[in-house]
Amino acid sequence: MKTKLILFLWIFSFLFAQTGPAKELHRNPPRAWALTNATVHTAPGKTIDNGTVILRDGMITAVGARVKIPKQATILDMDGKHIYAGFIESWLDVKTAKKDTSLQAYWNANMRAYLNGADLFHPKETSLKELRGLGFTTAHITPKGGIFQGASALVQLGETPKILSNSVAQVVEYANGGWGAKEYPTSLLGAIAFIRQGLIDADWYNKTQSILAKYPDGNAPIQSDRSLAALAKAKQSKQPFIFRTGNELYIDRSSNIADEFDLNLWIKGNGYEYRRIDEMPASFMIVPLDFPAKPEVADPHNALQYSTEQLKHWDLAPDNAAKLASAGFQFALTSDGLKNKSDFRKNLSRAVQRGLSEADALAALTTHPAKEMGQSKRLGKVAPGYIGNLVITDGSYFDSKTKVNAVWIDGNEYDVAPDPMVDASGDWTLKEGTNIWTLSLDIPEDEIEMSIDEEFDMIYLSGSLKLNNKYIELSNLALDQDRLSFSVEADTVLQKGVTRFKGTITDQKATGQVTYADGSTRLWSANFDSALEKKEKKTETEQASDLSLVFPEGAYGLDSSVPSPKTILVNDATIWTSGPKGVLKEWDILFQNGKVKKIAKNISLPRGKALIIDGKGKHVTPGLIDAHSHMAGESINEGFENVTAEVRMRDVIDPNDVAMYRALAGGLTTINLLHGSANPIGGQNVVMKLRWGSFSNDLIFKEAPQGIKFALGENVKRKRSYGRYPETRMGVEQVIRDAFRAAQDYKKAWDTYNKDVKLQRSSIPPRRNLEMDALVEIMEGKRLLHSHSYRQDEILMLTRIAEDFGFTIATFQHVLEGYKVAERLAEHGAGASTFSDWWAYKYEVVDAIGFNGTLMHNAGVNVSFNSDSDELARRMNLEAAKAVKYGGLDEAEALKFVTINPAKQLKIDKYVGSLEVGKDADFAIWSGHPLSTYSICEQTWLDGKQYFSLENDKYLRERDGKVRNDLIQKILKAPDNGGKKMKAKGRQGNRFHSCDAFESYLMEGGE
Amino acid sequence: MKRTLITLIFFTFVIANDQIPAPPQKHPILLKNGVIHTVSNGVINGAILFEKGKITRIAEHISPPAGAEVIDLDGKHVYPGLIAAVSGIGLTEISAVAVTNDHSERGDFNPNVRANVAYNPDSQIIPTTRSNGVLIANVAPGSGLVSGQSSIMLMDGWTWENATMEHPSGLHVNWPDMGIRSGGWFRMPADKQIKRRQESLKMLDEMIKEGRAYARLRQSKSSKAEDYHDSDLRLESLIHYVRGEKPIYVHANEVRQIEAAIHWANRHEVKIIIVGGKDAWRTADLLRTNNVAVIYEGVTALPNRRYEDYDQAYKGPALLHEAGVQFCISTSGSAGGSYRVRNLPNQAAMAAAYGLPKDVALRSITLSVAEVIGIADRVGSLESGKDATLFISNGDPLEIRTNVLQAYIQGRKIDMGDHHKSLYHKYQEKYRQLGILQE
Repeated sequence: MKTKLILFLWIFSFLFAQTGPAKELHRNPPRAWALTNATVHTAPGKTIDNGTVILRDGMITAVGARVKIPKQATILDMDGKHIYAGFIESWLDVKTAKKDTSLQAYWNANMRAYLNGADLFHPKETSLKELRGLGFTTAHITPKGGIFQGASALVQLGETPKILSNSVAQVVEYANGGWGAKEYPTSLLGAIAFIRQGLIDADWYNKTQSILAKYPDGNAPIQSDRSLAALAKAKQSKQPFIFRTGNELYIDRSSNIADEFDLNLWIKGNGYEYRRIDEMPASFMIVPLDFPAKPEVADPHNALQYSTEQLKHWDLAPDNAAKLASAGFQFALTSDGLKNKSDFRKNLSRAVQRGLSEADALAALTTHPAKEMGQSKRLGKVAPGYIGNLVITDGSYFDSKTKVNAVWIDGNEYDVAPDPMVDASGDWTLKEGTNIWTLSLDIPEDEIEMSIDEEFDMIYLSGSLKLNNKYIELSNLALDQDRLSFSVEADTVLQKGVTRFKGTITDQKATGQVTYADGSTRLWSANFDSALEKKEKKTETEQASDLSLVFPEGAYGLDSSVPSPKTILVNDATIWTSGPKGVLKEWDILFQNGKVKKIAKNISLPRGKALIIDGKGKHVTPGLIDAHSHMAGESINEGFENVTAEVRMRDVIDPNDVAMYRALAGGLTTINLLHGSANPIGGQNVVMKLRWGSFSNDLIFKEAPQGIKFALGENVKRKRSYGRYPETRMGVEQVIRDAFRAAQDYKKAWDTYNKDVKLQRSSIPPRRNLEMDALVEIMEGKRLLHSHSYRQDEILMLTRIAEDFGFTIATFQHVLEGYKVAERLAEHGAGASTFSDWWAYKYEVVDAIGFNGTLMHNAGVNVSFNSDSDELARRMNLEAAKAVKYGGLDEAEALKFVTINPAKQLKIDKYVGSLEVGKDADFAIWSGHPLSTYSICEQTWLDGKQYFSLENDKYLRERDGKVRNDLIQKILKAPDNGGKKMKAKGRQGNRFHSCDAFESYLMEGGE
Repeated sequence: MKRTLITLIFFTFVIANDQIPAPPQKHPILLKNGVIHTVSNGVINGAILFEKGKITRIAEHISPPAGAEVIDLDGKHVYPGLIAAVSGIGLTEISAVAVTNDHSERGDFNPNVRANVAYNPDSQIIPTTRSNGVLIANVAPGSGLVSGQSSIMLMDGWTWENATMEHPSGLHVNWPDMGIRSGGWFRMPADKQIKRRQESLKMLDEMIKEGRAYARLRQSKSSKAEDYHDSDLRLESLIHYVRGEKPIYVHANEVRQIEAAIHWANRHEVKIIIVGGKDAWRTADLLRTNNVAVIYEGVTALPNRRYEDYDQAYKGPALLHEAGVQFCISTSGSAGGSYRVRNLPNQAAMAAAYGLPKDVALRSITLSVAEVIGIADRVGSLESGKDATLFISNGDPLEIRTNVLQAYIQGRKIDMGDHHKSLYHKYQEKYRQLGILQE
């Protein structure tokens, strides 16, 4: 047994480094230390055994195996200890004020870029202790609240935190109040537009400031804006912008914004990076170790509620850091997001067991964040010239059972979990009068840890006294530093009653006084005999998950590149070309390099030159097109304001939406992802190809022209709790007219400015406005207008506005009374993208009829049928059949309602919509007549790649079924590692984003 | 001449703007040279005769009785009227306009309310629905825990009393959620959800116990004043069900709900039908061994869970059929979906495309429905003695492209016009006037 030296140090700041007067008397405790005989981890991957670290006046002055110890230094023997450079907690949130109420505020409370994290950091001693307990000596303080949240700071976690840097990065979050919020933005769509406009405004503000500085007299003053000033400064000085992200998609979105505005991008990660690791930007990331709790799968019914992606995440989340490291990412780790901060060590240890090297782990706590935050010369290493930040442990930090004994910050020691003053565990020979007892004491490890939080280091233990093979359990046993006490209740060997022992342990001896039941006392003494055998707790070592990743993650994700033969020949099929060739019975069609190469009665190729599909009895159609969809949109409506032309669906694409796969299984290949119908002028749409498995940007139909969604009627005039204009169709007309007038004015201002060099030199420039840009593009014919509409009056009205402003509407969407003004639609040249047979779900569709499509078609309007529903999108061919039912349209013409007609409406008919030589190899193969309810889609090809087939679907089902079963077995056997409970998402994938489909979903038996 | 007659029959609807309920069948009607899809007895190329509202004969050749109207079908098809197994039709007009809705009474416990008294025979949805061959609908209320009693309605009649074919057809219970819901707009905390579930389940147990006790009290023959028990409309309405005379329709989609409902029914010895049944395939053995039928609502619904097969809902009926579970197919019974009851045949067709034999698919919206809801003695198939509730079509009604040409309900010749056809003809006329459409 060994008694250890415990240093009780009070921590004081350098008196010469502070400006205030001394309190009471000057205090000058020793300021130089030599920490000897330790294992020193000087830098990731670099270790000195038996090393010495010299600290002096807050700095590290020398490190090495043979270091001369200065005379002034007090020597601390660190035998058995490990020394690391102090760890950096790379993410520590501080809350910000809700609103800038100053005269220098931006118009919207979500703009708080002027704030500084350091100003808002008022830590409680308990939270500082908690951080130090994990070995953190420095923290990156990040303001939280709003969208542009302010500048982060780097702070030492000593008793009086010192700021090392007060503008590390500008923190940005995709915050929004959600539907029903009291301020713009209320959606992810709006949040992204807000960020983009904010960055544009910052540049503009910066420019105005320099113009005003040069020409203060000729210009009217503009409102000061301290947030825009802060943003502009950060942008110019290439200060990082760090985006908080919720999953891998948000990282991609941040990357898009950084590219557009040339930002120095940092990412606050989320634990899902592994899913698209090849698509992640090469930016510095700060990644949490927030692993989910075991899914509750013991109840098999409950297990059904978890999606496969969730079950997989349980097993893959602890591998995330290792995967990032092996992919070469520079990242820092943070305890942010953990409900129990103490899980950080456990999770870090799990990550290391699963393949994160200790060097990479250490770098993520030290050198990586130090370097990125501009502190590589003074933080992150145990080296001369570095700040005296150290972590002292009794073993490898990455073993979760290792204790952090202390941290040093600025050369001052902060106790965390010091070794006990004495180690009393074991057997003692105790002499009390003539009795010779065997005293057994047992100090459990976790009791010691528990005692850390106690005000005094009191240790509670258990033990027994043994005499002549008779055991007596000790009660009231306590060890307070070196003072031991216990009591014994006995009948025979001692006096009847309770006898109390009290004594002090010194080295291997203990002496004290015993007080018998009658109050008489006597001395006792004890000698240490043997230490207790330490029971090594067995801990299972974890292995990295053996799951393979699929794209997107979860059921039906693709696990290898989709089949994409160079040449595909379909023989002897009925080909519905939707082109001039009409319907061809028993013809052949050849696809090559993703395009239609040839359509002929007979095409023969040398053997082995192509994938040959026997089309006998089968029907081939172009890939179907849906001109109104909300699938794969993570956010649909930014509806707070009546005009939101600035928001873009392309920003919120969700490539993980299983709706795409389900639609592919119904022959659909192209969709028009539209903004919702919450406001008269909604957001910009994006046309997408359903390249299932691809990441967001690769889903975009690049050649498709840009567009925008408008909406008329009930949805936009509905009363809002906060009182939004308009509330009548009269007001809707005025809102739209007003927006175009404003856009004309905007364009005029820019044209004037652009033409006049003098203006450009000395006047405040017009402000670029994303909303106005979109409206100008509509008027210039560069942006297609798709308008949600029902009644004939509003349809007519919008054609008149368009003509007044000199453009043509691309499509009216829904347009259920289009049949009443078909001649107007034809004359104006608008397409009609309608529902086949919906009606009666709201008042404005009381006159909606199934004959709408045929009537409009017969009056010369280009008509398509759309879904507006993830469900209906799976069977658009059957929607087309309704044009035959209602009004007797020719079958080939009816099919065009879901092929070439929507392609024309979206102006992508050069590429898709019909099977003609040179067009994209987007096609579906059907078991029979495509308009027959009995036919099913057997294969769907897109760009010459097979994205769906019955055969592959069968394979995916079996694969995913096995993955689920295996995972559930693994979960059932796994230990409980804590963590946040996952909310079961098994039902996710059934979304109800749509203008009007909600009721209809209910009807169709949907949720 | 005969062809002219038929043409007249099939296209006279264009004149009517408002549909007029048909008078009782006055003379025998013989449909000949047709393809008669009996459902119960195969397909017969021949004729069908009905008199006084009842089918009297089906044969290859039938000589017309005296005074019969003879219609030459020229190869057209005759089918029994399709039946909506659960529906809100007639109880709602425009779901988004609150005042047009009469399907959801206030409160959680409404066993006493009856659908037929609020059935609007002049709903514009009814004619558009029978235009696609749906001639009978089991109309049900739909709110709270115990919604009320459904009525089987004919899709033609001057008043709700005329239109009532059977009342009550059953009691409707919305089985409580058995799991914890999260995400989306649903924000109730888990403990609250559990408490609410437990309360609801207790209420369902109490309902049966109290209903039984009440039935016994009201049955008492004693004339003593102390034996008299005051009336309670809610408990009174339960008598049929606690005695097992009529079925309780339990609306349940998730597997835990279905299982709980079956155990509940066994415990209380009541007869239930599962409505919805998305997960029924997961517990088919339990359904079969307990003889519980399923009204499968969501053939064209999305799969219930993200990882389920893309065609899980499509193939649901085929799975139940293969497992030997009694079932029929319905569109959703929710009132908001009333206007889509007309697409009932497409639901059956979708099931057929994904594995259900075609004849079973047809049966699942005709005879199977009649069996499940207890009217198979009168309708559901073309057989002598059954109601002449049938329609003539130009093809397989399960194909979308097929149209229903003429319907008869209990032998009454139905006005085939509807709001949509009227508007169609009105606007065809507009474009003729404009010279856009040629005659």
